[in-house]
Amino acid sequence: MVLFAVFCDITGYFTKNPKLYEVSWWNLTFATVSIFIAIIFGQIEAGLAEPYRASVSTLNVHTVLGWSLSGILALVTGWRYVIRLQERPQLPIPYLAVSVLLVGLVCIQSYLGSLLVWVYGLHTIPVVDAIRGGLS
Amino acid sequence: MNPDLLEQWGSLGVNGLPYIIPIHPNLVHLTLGLFIAAIAFDIVGALFPVEKAVFKFLAIPVTRSSLFDVGWYNLVASAIVTFFTVMAGLFEVSLAVPLADVTSAWGLHALQTMILHGVGGVLILTLIVGMTVWRGFQRYQWRKDMARQVQWSYLAAGLFIFALMFVQGTLGAHLGGEFGVHITADQMLHLGENPNQL
Repeated sequence: MVLFAVFCDITGYFTKNPKLYEVSWWNLTFATVSIFIAIIFGQIEAGLAEPYRASVSTLNVHTVLGWSLSGILALVTGWRYVIRLQERPQLPIPYLAVSVLLVGLVCIQSYLGSLLVWVYGLHTIPVVDAIRGGLS
Repeated sequence: MNPDLLEQWGSLGVNGLPYIIPIHPNLVHLTLGLFIAAIAFDIVGALFPVEKAVFKFLAIPVTRSSLFDVGWYNLVASAIVTFFTVMAGLFEVSLAVPLADVTSAWGLHALQTMILHGVGGVLILTLIVGMTVWRGFQRYQWRKDMARQVQWSYLAAGLFIFALMFVQGTLGAHLGGEFGVHITADQMLHLGENPNQL
């Protein structure tokens, strides 16, 4: 949602299509609500994960970045709310810069989450069995 | 895939891919997020008369047509992205070496799960593209001047596709989580190695 919001912002900026700014704002709002649901499930599942040694540091960074993103995303959405109320014809450049930064953080966060599942295999059956069998 | 054939590739990692993280499960989040948001905003747009008071209470200025804009643009983006999702899925499933001695929570073996997930993927791609065409006709032809841009039957079809996506997603999760497809740690355990060596 964040990725698509920023994509619409940048496309809207260059094509001067105000509809895309609305699409972006609503995607961002949707993302801000969703991220808290994502964090709740993330916390439950991370709490149940019993990560083994090699995966601990990745899980820690993923947790810290996830919570940070909820704050950053809420801030950006709040900023966007104000910009939207002002009904400007164009988005301010600093806002665009921050949202591109936000995209970077979202990509890093997805990468870390992918590492946890696809490299470390947390919550996959073979790894869970191995942890029960003494892997730590 | 036959392991002898995979050896011809030469440079595949323990996870069976030429890179460490599979692409398909990442792209699928874009497919799902965009499609779900598209239908969700069309529902919000369709029920707009009921929600007016809520938006007013939240001090969020809304025009009904902008909610339908979200429904349309998100759907178009979903349709485009999903071609890449399916493409990445076909590439990665053709390199898959699932654990053979496992039965999933749905009582299926790896091959059955792979075939169902593959057929399901192409089916859902077709449905998303079909929905986009249907949505386009409603937006630009049939309901161009109507306050409610979408038909109820369109929204119902969207919800039905949510259900298909749930089934498809669960099959995909079985491929990773139970059959260990492209999961480095699972493949290491299968080889008798310790994933702490990662």
